Amino acid sequence: MKLKYNTEIISGIVFLIAAAVLWLLIPSQINTLETTSINAQTVPRIAIGGMLLFSAGLLAQGIFSNPKKEVLITKATFSTESFRRELKSVLYAVILLLYTVVLTYLGFLIATALLVVVILLFYGTRKWYYYAIPLVMVGIVYFIFRTLLHVSLP
Amino acid sequence: MEAFLAGLQTLFQWQNFLIIPVGLALGIIVGAIPGLTSDLGIILCIPLTYGMEPTMAILMLLAIYCGGTYGGSITAILINTPGTSANAATLFDGYPMTKKGQAYKALSMALFASTIGGLISAFALLFLAPQIAKITLLFGPAEYLALAVFGLSVIAGVSNKSIFKGLIGACIGIFISTIGMDNISGTTRFTFGKINLMSGINLIIALIGLFAISEIMMKSQYNPRTDKKTIDASSITKCKVTREEYKRCRKPIGIGSLIGVIIGATPGTGGGLAAFIAYNQVKQSSKHPETFGEGEIEGVAASESANNGACGATMIPMLTLGVPGDGATAILMGAFMIHGMVPGPMLFRDQGNLLYAIMLGLIVVNIFMYLIGSVFTKFYAHITRIPYEILACVVLTFCTAGAYSTSNSLYDVYIIFVVGVLAYFLRRMDFQLVPILLGIVLGPLAETNFRRALILSDGSLSIFVTRPISLAFLLIAVGSVLLFAIKNHRAKAKEIS
Repeated sequence: MKLKYNTEIISGIVFLIAAAVLWLLIPSQINTLETTSINAQTVPRIAIGGMLLFSAGLLAQGIFSNPKKEVLITKATFSTESFRRELKSVLYAVILLLYTVVLTYLGFLIATALLVVVILLFYGTRKWYYYAIPLVMVGIVYFIFRTLLHVSLP
Repeated sequence: MEAFLAGLQTLFQWQNFLIIPVGLALGIIVGAIPGLTSDLGIILCIPLTYGMEPTMAILMLLAIYCGGTYGGSITAILINTPGTSANAATLFDGYPMTKKGQAYKALSMALFASTIGGLISAFALLFLAPQIAKITLLFGPAEYLALAVFGLSVIAGVSNKSIFKGLIGACIGIFISTIGMDNISGTTRFTFGKINLMSGINLIIALIGLFAISEIMMKSQYNPRTDKKTIDASSITKCKVTREEYKRCRKPIGIGSLIGVIIGATPGTGGGLAAFIAYNQVKQSSKHPETFGEGEIEGVAASESANNGACGATMIPMLTLGVPGDGATAILMGAFMIHGMVPGPMLFRDQGNLLYAIMLGLIVVNIFMYLIGSVFTKFYAHITRIPYEILACVVLTFCTAGAYSTSNSLYDVYIIFVVGVLAYFLRRMDFQLVPILLGIVLGPLAETNFRRALILSDGSLSIFVTRPISLAFLLIAVGSVLLFAIKNHRAKAKEIS
């Protein structure tokens, strides 16, 4: 499959869809009792309307004026170095989002210690003291926040 | 004059000179940790001041306030994460300077500019407080909206690669700022039935997600074997600010401090807005605007002088009118009351000597800030030598703890990671994050005053152009956008030819 694109086309489409969905959600999400023409819906409408308008402009700019990249998607594309690097970023995002789930159940100390180990493994770290320093730091942060700042971390 | 001399006498006691460095050190630490603000530092230390003399107590809290505003620049420069919202504009050039191996230089300039801004602000508080307060009293909803529009005009300067992307970013920011309960009508907006979203998305939480988490995500493809840079310890502090650079930064610091004082004295604004406006003005008036955003020392000087320039000035409406300028001064106002001083016009008459001691003390606070900062800047600069994989873990730890502490809620932790991942994808699409931040910062100021102004004018938009101060701000905003457009057009034409 042959694809012609640039970041303007991709982001233009994404924001056009996002803004259209948000615009349709306004009546259900902002259920105001105000009867005046300027009310709680006004500024969100201006912001979302602006997003809609400017993403249409961005899309037009991407289609008509900016240079486009041409990519040929084949089976080989999925084994290239650049694809692997992109996959790494996605994996990193998944690790961070999973951390928020683990944090809910295991609490700050254990979840953050686990996150530290997973991130260092992700970077392929082998030196033991590279693990020890941030792990000790997690303990120090926990102690400072709980005892000195009186923040009861989960 | 009598009160002034009595104030000097009250100030020059050894206890005061001992407590100021303690307050500054606390403030710098709190300011440098993303998620913790000087507001929190002041709140935590108020109970410690109960047994102190009023002057000593207020000076300690003021030191935390000023130290916190400066401290936020350290992380903005070193790890692309402003410690407080007031330092957001510092990362435009601060972090690029660190990437170029000039972290020590950027930190030194941030300290110098913060000190000068703070000193000018302290002198303005001492000598011009009543006059400045009178000017800010002229500000009504129309003027505040015009001021917010003026602040938003910065977008033109920071999104010169694609104005559409900058404008979409601003719309996203304004949209985020509307989430939660509407202040005027009490209507909930885009909360999707979640109680945790009723109070909206906290600015600090958005900052951590937008900058800290997305920055860590940007380095997800970092390979320690190939990308690791070995930095020689002795070379870090060699890159000092030259005499020529100090000379070059005189004008940006002057503009920044002046803007800081004016914006800071206007209630409901704050150091963050002052820093953005100062940065924009300095960039516009520069002979080499194209170097801004690429590690230009003048950019750091402008934003840091402005946010610290706002510190003393936020006290002007509080002390003269009894109206706190921002969150920190509202807390300080409470501290004044705890110590038997009621801010307002009567304070000058009833407790003039204490008030002068505090205002003079603010000058001493800024001098101490420079001395303490100078000693520690060398150590901060060495943070750049920490292997990235360790730094990422430490930053994530602080961000999580800091985000949680904002309102003792796990919800804020979820938000920083979700915002961070989304911001990462935006950065990959060549979006600038600053317009989003501007939208979040200025959205509430713009919305509240837009609606108030239209209520006052019975829905007529003419209120924004018939009031002279409002019209002046709007014209300057339009003028600065046009100026940027012309400059960009010329630069592009030059590139083509």
